[in-house]
Amino acid sequence: MSVIGKNTPRIDGPAKVSGKQQYASDIIIPGMMYAVTLRSPYPHAEILSIDTSEAEAMGAVCLTYEDIIPVIYNERSVSVPAATYRDRTVLPKKARHIGEPIAAVAADTEELAYKAMQALKVEYKVLDAVYEPEEAMKDGAPQLYDKIYFGDEEVIVKNNIGVVRNIDEGDSVGGFARADRIFEEDFELPRIYHCQLETKGCVAAPDTEGGITVWATAQSIHGNRQLLAQTLGLPLSKVNVKKITLGGGFGSSIQVNTVTPICAALAMKARRPVKLLSAREEDFYSHHKYPSKFHVRIGVTNDGVITAAHVKALIDFGAHQIQPMSFMGCVAGWFASLYKYEGNIKFDGVAVYTNKTPCCAMQGYGNPQINFAIESMVDIICNEMGFDPIQFRLKNYRGTGEEFWGQGPTIRSIIKSCGVEESLVEGSKLMEEWATRGKPEDKHGDILTGVGLARGFHCSGTAGPKEGEVIDYSSALVKVNEDGSIDCVTPVMDHGGGTWDALAKILTEVFKVPLNMVGLSPADTKNTGYDVCTHATRGVYCGGAAVYNAAVKCRDKLLEFAGRVMDEHPCHLEIVENEELGQGFIQVKGFPQKGRTIGEVAKIAQINSWGTAMYAESFRQKNCPPCFTTHFVKVAVNTRTGEITIPKVVIYGDCGVAMNPDLLYGQLIGSFNRGLGYVLYENLPHDERTGKLKNNGLLVDYKMPTAVEMPKAENVIVRHAHTYEPTGPFGAKGIGEAALASVQAAIANAIYNATGIRFTKLPITPEIMLKALQEKGLAHK
Amino acid sequence: MSKHDITLNVNGKKYELTVNSNELLLNVLRDKLFLTGSKYGCGIAECGACTILKDDESYFACMVPAVAADGWNITTVEGLADGDKLNPVQQAFIDNSAIQCGFCVPGMVVTSTALLRENPDPDEDFVKDYLRGNFCRCTGYVAMVKSVLDAASKMKEAK
Repeated sequence: MSVIGKNTPRIDGPAKVSGKQQYASDIIIPGMMYAVTLRSPYPHAEILSIDTSEAEAMGAVCLTYEDIIPVIYNERSVSVPAATYRDRTVLPKKARHIGEPIAAVAADTEELAYKAMQALKVEYKVLDAVYEPEEAMKDGAPQLYDKIYFGDEEVIVKNNIGVVRNIDEGDSVGGFARADRIFEEDFELPRIYHCQLETKGCVAAPDTEGGITVWATAQSIHGNRQLLAQTLGLPLSKVNVKKITLGGGFGSSIQVNTVTPICAALAMKARRPVKLLSAREEDFYSHHKYPSKFHVRIGVTNDGVITAAHVKALIDFGAHQIQPMSFMGCVAGWFASLYKYEGNIKFDGVAVYTNKTPCCAMQGYGNPQINFAIESMVDIICNEMGFDPIQFRLKNYRGTGEEFWGQGPTIRSIIKSCGVEESLVEGSKLMEEWATRGKPEDKHGDILTGVGLARGFHCSGTAGPKEGEVIDYSSALVKVNEDGSIDCVTPVMDHGGGTWDALAKILTEVFKVPLNMVGLSPADTKNTGYDVCTHATRGVYCGGAAVYNAAVKCRDKLLEFAGRVMDEHPCHLEIVENEELGQGFIQVKGFPQKGRTIGEVAKIAQINSWGTAMYAESFRQKNCPPCFTTHFVKVAVNTRTGEITIPKVVIYGDCGVAMNPDLLYGQLIGSFNRGLGYVLYENLPHDERTGKLKNNGLLVDYKMPTAVEMPKAENVIVRHAHTYEPTGPFGAKGIGEAALASVQAAIANAIYNATGIRFTKLPITPEIMLKALQEKGLAHK
Repeated sequence: MSKHDITLNVNGKKYELTVNSNELLLNVLRDKLFLTGSKYGCGIAECGACTILKDDESYFACMVPAVAADGWNITTVEGLADGDKLNPVQQAFIDNSAIQCGFCVPGMVVTSTALLRENPDPDEDFVKDYLRGNFCRCTGYVAMVKSVLDAASKMKEAK
């Protein structure tokens, strides 16, 4: 029985519930030293000198700017070098945000390392700092950089402007001229933190051949290896990064984590294994989600056709570039792909350096940000012009046959599967309150309820038909063992969503074996081909496709062996399921009378010295299909306290064929929970006098949703659309990042439906809600 | 820094250890006893990833000085199962697909085990409230709450 589309218990379930699953932070090596970083207490300061003598006298090994190879790099290596800005080194000569690592020490115990770190004497020249992008762009503002690099070219930085990205397609002037009404609004989304539960860390062990083995919190082992080889000055063959379970991703490790090259350099200097784990307070200062400001203009005809749209974006990306260039390209792409706009779009983006924590990808790479703006605008348009929100979306959305920008303007594909209509229509039936939601002015009482709708998507990988500015391919080795079981070696990472289970299921389907006959092998950068990264919702669609293609070619080889055994031409043979034998059965097509198990064939091939049925493949998808989501959310606003609760949600996901529906639902529900935090609670304001985070990096002062804030289980209604992606492995595409895209606007639209108050700035905390209710005369005492 | 001799009973095994007065129970469990199932997530009793049991009561191991645990009868996540037979909560987490990255799961199953020892017949609100000290960024909690309720009903049936 095929396991694709069926719920099967997670393969790593027993290890994870019994504490036996190993993460990078669990690696312990005999003779290992513990490392601690010294982090900048200033938001902006030149480092004039670091005196390590006292720390070294305590027995510590120290690493400063003097010890590193001054390679200038970007932590994120997903984009091609020619489309990548580079501005940082392993350790800096100048601190550009509070909490930036500026030196590190390793010692026999963590305590000694900490004391040695405190004994480092640093001479700083403190500089003026700047925190807001508008301020940073003014003449005379403190400058973070004089020059950086774009590809191989030197770039002079003016007014802290890191990247400008403008995109203009069609005829937006003509489009706006044809519109009967033009809507215009400003939106602002906060800086928030991934809060992946495993803090960023690394264990690095030098070997006797001059190389190094590394276990790191990573979404890409090959990305880590390539940067480590560069910063350590080693051949790639001397750097081995091990694939290990990651304690939460959400984009927090799409780049090589800042601590990883530091740990590796310390280990090489000490000639001993070193463990460097971030404390939570340090992790809070390592990477954030991009705070974003948008000005949006949309033109609409009286018939409900969007004729043009223009987005201006201002992005504060902090002290280092972890690709705000591709971030803005993606923002433009998500915006361009949501609706047709009669092909008339304009995007003007500016991304600015500030003395704050650098920003990196966080579930959606600009998608939740711009989706909040556009889907709020659609709600405004429908309310003002009296359009039905579902019909208006169906009239204007980009569906099957339409162009989709999978990763900015250079990665474009054509949509081949689309569950948008099913999700909107069926979802509205499941949210019974949708039809009776009424208008804000009809609502009365202490508790105001409302229902909101928004739709979104994300790409499945970044592999358009034509290669663009992003690298995308994966690799896999598949072999059939002599008893019919299957081994697979692949560098593809799983952040917990179930990617590895999906890969195993793909193998069961090709070889018609039960799930327990398939195993993913331990993997590292030495025994696998390149895989770009598990990001951009590409694990199953791209990583799975590499496994599928290797498996199919391995199967061809096996059938060739079977042809010799059975005296048949391989083209007449097929593998079918045989539950009784517990493994795949090779037969002449349609004739079960004559056949052999795949294990028998593999064994005969071994005994006769024909070889092993195995194949290693490096494979690139040629598409990046959108996976769609739709959210119907019911909210209840307490007009006495400003508290907003969510009594009910309907979530529709379209991931093509769901490899494991329960794991799909888990991703959709988990993303809803994170979206709830993004809309209602999370924010990372800085103290303008000191440059510190106001929560000081403490979890206790960063409110996130817990079990209590979620609706009752029976009121979390999750479904998936019945679609089949023709280019995906067994019809599958992605879901991960799409799952968050439309949560924010759906909740904000519901709050509008409940109160008549339109929030264009997040988060909407109880204080902010209450103040808005008071201003509108809706607050009860 | 003063040193202290302590005895810990962990998962049915007795350990005699010498610890510093500033050493935390979490670090002793992980770095000295190699019981790495208990996780570091925050160090300030906010996330619950380090939760262990002292007898039937749950504690945050990141907040307990090792000297204070002298003589304690401790169960870590590694001690919940009976050999390969998972306890009902662990099994329910698998059956209800409540696991994603899994980093919070050790603390979650330990806390949920304590919950069911305290209240074998909880309702949904009780479970949600009990788990509010355990942070999970992946799952959205719904499947975890269902798991605890499922374990409770399976344990009742088994009686």
